[in-house]
Amino acid sequence: MKIDVFPQKVTLRDDSHVEIRPLDADHAPALLDFYRGLPEGDRLYLREDVTKPEWLERFVALVQRGEVVSLTAVAGDAIVGEATLHRSLHGWTMHVAEVRVNVAPEYRRKALGHALCREIVRLAISSGVEKLVAHIMENQIAARRMFDHLGFLQEAVLRDHVKDIRGKKRDLLVMSSDVSHIWHAMEALVADYSPTFGD
Amino acid sequence: MPKSEIRVGGLGGQGVILSAHIIGKAAAIFDGRHATLIQSFGPEARGSACSAQVTLDDHTIGYPYVKYPDVLMIMSPDAYTQFIGQLKPGGTLLYESDLIKLDDRLPEGVRAFGVPATRLAEELGRRLVLNIVMVGFFAGVTGLLSPEAVEKAVKESVPRGTEDLNLRALHKGLEYGQKLLSAGSN
Repeated sequence: MKIDVFPQKVTLRDDSHVEIRPLDADHAPALLDFYRGLPEGDRLYLREDVTKPEWLERFVALVQRGEVVSLTAVAGDAIVGEATLHRSLHGWTMHVAEVRVNVAPEYRRKALGHALCREIVRLAISSGVEKLVAHIMENQIAARRMFDHLGFLQEAVLRDHVKDIRGKKRDLLVMSSDVSHIWHAMEALVADYSPTFGD
Repeated sequence: MPKSEIRVGGLGGQGVILSAHIIGKAAAIFDGRHATLIQSFGPEARGSACSAQVTLDDHTIGYPYVKYPDVLMIMSPDAYTQFIGQLKPGGTLLYESDLIKLDDRLPEGVRAFGVPATRLAEELGRRLVLNIVMVGFFAGVTGLLSPEAVEKAVKESVPRGTEDLNLRALHKGLEYGQKLLSAGSN
């Protein structure tokens, strides 16, 4: 996956700056700090307990194996946001990747999530992914708006599929973006066929 | 640089014509040389024989057809069978090494360089870019195109949104070719 365009300096809505760059093993402990700093309610949206060192160890191994791409937003020495791309390297869903984005509370409403997500989508397309999916709880309005802006459409609703911090059951929205048309254009280009007209 | 006559051969759907087009474009538009391209297709969009003839020169090219190429770049066994006898003695053969097995039909003095372009393209995520791996390999082995020119030609020739993967494919082929040359493999 092409990640040599990083680090990228990004100016946020409030004119502050962060640097977007792939996670490297040296910086991994800062990721643990980032997730430990998220409000408990936000961590409920995540599928694993991201506050444990064992999780970090597993996560870094996934990144090193190429099963996960992790882009971090760094301010000073601290990680203030992360976007990840999860992709199966074999099997019937190889063409699909899941996007996940998390931003520190003090960096929200500054378009950082959007910037991270845009870059991870770009990386996904460049690695040949044809379809992107994102899972969002019904009440994650900002996240939904962000994926809307990036061209994702609601594909399914799983009723009462998740519970929020108060134990209330919520619908889970599956949003997706079909980017295969980009590759259809490439397929047409390599078809090596030139129609002729007339005699 | 002396005149170079190139034949590219493979199957429809492998991107034979696009690869030849990029080679010509890199030379003519971005390296400031002259180039011509002649292409021929089978009747089907995919799976039929397909080839292209490219001529590169520092001077105006008066005759664009290539009968006995200096460089033969092939991507299918059928293309090998069809064109290997036309390669000039002492010429350069660039071939897809997972698909094509060389035999005693190689003309005298030919330098043969193989690259597993399909496999490399698949490792990058899309078999579709095998032709771009071959273009990179062509540039890396022959030195007939500058890396900057061929990079620009790829960028300008592929659909928007696919540039990154195509450029990675190009560099994969380029580096493979350069390593093969520096290792002195033949």
